[in-house]
Amino acid sequence: MKLCKPWEHNLSRRQWLGSVAAGLGGLSFGNLLQPAVADQLKKKNKQVLFIWLDGGISQLESWDPKPGTQFGGPLRAIPTSVPGIHISEVLPKTARQMHHLALVRSLCTKDNSHSAGVARIQRGDPKNRGVTYPFFGSAVAKLLGPGDSGLPPYIWIKPGSGGFKHQDAGFLGPKYGCLAFGDGKPPENLVLPNSISEEDNQARLLLRKKLDQRYAARRPKRSVEATGFVFDMAEQLRKRLDLFDLNKLPEKDRERYGNHDFGRHMLLARRFLEAGVTFVKVNSYGWDTHGDNFNAHMNMVPKFDQAFAAMIEDLVARGMLDNVLVICMSEFGRTPRINGHVGRDHWPEAWSLVMAGCGAKRGVVVGKTNDKGTFVTTEEYDIGHMFHTWFTLLGIDPNKTEYDNDGQPLPIAHPDCHVVKELIA
Amino acid sequence: MIRPAVRFGMALFVVGFLWSSTRAAPPLSERIDALVMAKANGRAASPLADDAEFLRRAYLDLAGVIPSVQEARAFLDDTDPGKRAKMIDKLLSGPDYPRRMAEFFHVMLMERRGDHAQWQEYLHSSFAQNKPWDQMAREILCGFSDSKETRGAPFFYSKRLERYGQNPADYPGLTRDVGRMFLGIDLQCAQCHNHVHIKDYKQADYQGLFAFFTNVYLNDPKMPSIGERPFTKKVEFVSVFGFTKKQTGPRVPGMKEIEVPNYKQGEEYARKPDNKKKDPGRLKFSPLSKLAEQVPQSDAFARNAVNRLWFLMMGRGIVHPLDLHHSKNPPSHPELLDLLAKEFVAHKYDIKWLLGEIARSQTYQRSSMLPENQKVFQPESFLTAHEKLIGAEQLMWSVLQATGELERTRQFAAGIDSLRSLFVKAFANPPKEPEIEFNPSLKGALFILNNNAVQQLLVPRPGNLVDRLSKLPDDKVAEELYLSVLTRLPTADEKSEVEDYLAQKTDRVKALQQLAWALLASTEFCVNH
Repeated sequence: MKLCKPWEHNLSRRQWLGSVAAGLGGLSFGNLLQPAVADQLKKKNKQVLFIWLDGGISQLESWDPKPGTQFGGPLRAIPTSVPGIHISEVLPKTARQMHHLALVRSLCTKDNSHSAGVARIQRGDPKNRGVTYPFFGSAVAKLLGPGDSGLPPYIWIKPGSGGFKHQDAGFLGPKYGCLAFGDGKPPENLVLPNSISEEDNQARLLLRKKLDQRYAARRPKRSVEATGFVFDMAEQLRKRLDLFDLNKLPEKDRERYGNHDFGRHMLLARRFLEAGVTFVKVNSYGWDTHGDNFNAHMNMVPKFDQAFAAMIEDLVARGMLDNVLVICMSEFGRTPRINGHVGRDHWPEAWSLVMAGCGAKRGVVVGKTNDKGTFVTTEEYDIGHMFHTWFTLLGIDPNKTEYDNDGQPLPIAHPDCHVVKELIA
Repeated sequence: MIRPAVRFGMALFVVGFLWSSTRAAPPLSERIDALVMAKANGRAASPLADDAEFLRRAYLDLAGVIPSVQEARAFLDDTDPGKRAKMIDKLLSGPDYPRRMAEFFHVMLMERRGDHAQWQEYLHSSFAQNKPWDQMAREILCGFSDSKETRGAPFFYSKRLERYGQNPADYPGLTRDVGRMFLGIDLQCAQCHNHVHIKDYKQADYQGLFAFFTNVYLNDPKMPSIGERPFTKKVEFVSVFGFTKKQTGPRVPGMKEIEVPNYKQGEEYARKPDNKKKDPGRLKFSPLSKLAEQVPQSDAFARNAVNRLWFLMMGRGIVHPLDLHHSKNPPSHPELLDLLAKEFVAHKYDIKWLLGEIARSQTYQRSSMLPENQKVFQPESFLTAHEKLIGAEQLMWSVLQATGELERTRQFAAGIDSLRSLFVKAFANPPKEPEIEFNPSLKGALFILNNNAVQQLLVPRPGNLVDRLSKLPDDKVAEELYLSVLTRLPTADEKSEVEDYLAQKTDRVKALQQLAWALLASTEFCVNH
């Protein structure tokens, strides 16, 4: 395999912007109403790690245990590094990182179906204005720009298939879509054939670009822009092929994150964050435990625990947690009531998430559920409140920043929700 | 002096006389143009495409491949004013037409779920004999075949009845697809309640259609063959918004519920199933046979068919999206859709005839370049040609044609098959996603950039593109190159760009390969404009 040379990695954001701009008008701040604010944001190098436990992790077997109660289930709660905060016993390693984390135990959202729920949560459940809102990753890609990685701003590491998912971007347009690496692998055909030197490659690409410019002279620009975008992305990606080679990392790192898909994908995510990618999403599937909920969680949560705790530890050690916002959540929680299949069903009424970094308060719990865990007893927070909070942590004022959708101003977070101040340091 | 009113009367008389003396309405192609222009609202239409643009488009649409360099040269040199019409006839009766139609209908009907040799044979032979569309629909929808010729037809069902992993066979998905593909209505969101946004789509329509399939099962995926169990129970349903229990037997949307005859247990079959022979038997009353009989009688059937054939040629439906025919999503040209449907039925669902009429219209033959001084493209106006998606198969054939490797590769069926699977992997949508618009993908770009199979086609071999170019002097290269790959002559600038490039490079073959690659990777090559 022909790998690229180290000097090729010194690709600045300017180059990335420049090359994409040639095809697409750039990942610019063109449809934001406050370009000056956007310029400041770019300098801060804020990043996001978004961990998605698809299907719905049980809050009772993770962040909000209720041992010894009617619906508590068989698992115990354990103390954490923060006195007074207890989490489920299947999270021993994360418990030792609790002083870096913030738990939200008062989520109350509106959708209890997967198909609608995943998109609804990740789009921030905005007010219906007849447009499709971007996923959080596309929104951040838009608002923060691509960072210094020379890679697209929104990357998704997931089991299964990969590819470019333009649908995530909604009205922002396909270029803010998400580049997914299926099974954490780079896409096929990423390496130049031996017969083509780097110089030859640049020469043929330039010829191609000139042809496209001539073709588009009297035609709608869309086709040429879209083609230019994927060719540019292919080039950017090829130059960072090194990132995918986890064998270059110390054996100890690989052990700490765990010898399983989620562990490997989290380690890869750390690499992408270190490389400067703005938004990295990692998915884990199979959390929809309608049957055998407790065995499933006893099997799956420890794997999560291992990789998640290792990630927090590493972000702290590298001083990155000040700039990286870590969020871990699902589309909803699970019912306190245990069903006939020893499972728990969908429960958007009272559930939890964990977050950290980027100025979030450390070692706190926000919100409370009742003794049975069935409902929230403090103020209920919808996903819109979280969007307000996350944007604020990223240095984006959700009340002042708006998208400009072809002249239609659109708020970046639900206007009926607000920042959760207790989460901000 | 003749008074104006009298003059007007005489004019009417003359028009009437001419009309009745020819005793026929103008050809459909002209009526298409009149109806499209009537809706232009003063907007300028693009001029007609030049011969090169027309030729490439007609080849891609009707033969599924770009023309060879010889064919292109001959057509451009031909001074016959009727050469376009002759070319359309030639392509419609040519050997590539059935293959192209089989590819298009396969992608449309199966949406990349998989393939089957018998199914391909069925499609190919049907288009080779220009089988009427209503007959094809009946053969596909009845789910049953008793002749060698239609043996592959049940694949439409059998593939959809296969189970994927732990998932049960997707009956709601099958119901939805029959509605979408044969009637142009997507009833998915009317499964559990009346459609929330589309008033015309009722839960009862979905459930009535669903009732046809409740007793269908996969008999043998290899054959392919499906079976039907006796219909004993109507479908019961409740809207999630209500409490009233309703029930329905099989019913095609917009038509009457079908009476299901009662047979005593054991007497339902005209021919009993035989497990040893994998024979599913024949019911005395088969809901699928009724479905096959009734769907083509629905008004929606012809309208959906002509809309999809219009899309094939024009890149967009008169009703768009193609599977959302309803009153809130009206056709862009209602009279045109009515006319096409009426004429299609009058011509006995003759696909080839309809495609020929569309191809001869000026509307089809317009340039994809916007009219002078116009910046905005109005897709639903059909005043400028759409840049159409080139499917994975069209792209494969065209890359082979352009590189001069078509004949050589065609001699080995295995060569085409393996290349096709590479192109499908790189350029087709994932299963169950319709292929409607040009949407370049990262994997497609990477394939063209770096896959060895593409590079191999640029290695000089006797008579192929790079070999031919290598034997030409620098000032003749551009013409051969552009005509072979882009089916047009180069501009003066392009000619000097090629000459300059060759002059700069020491390795001439390599330089020719790079020039050829750049054309193959260009947007101009990868869309049907």
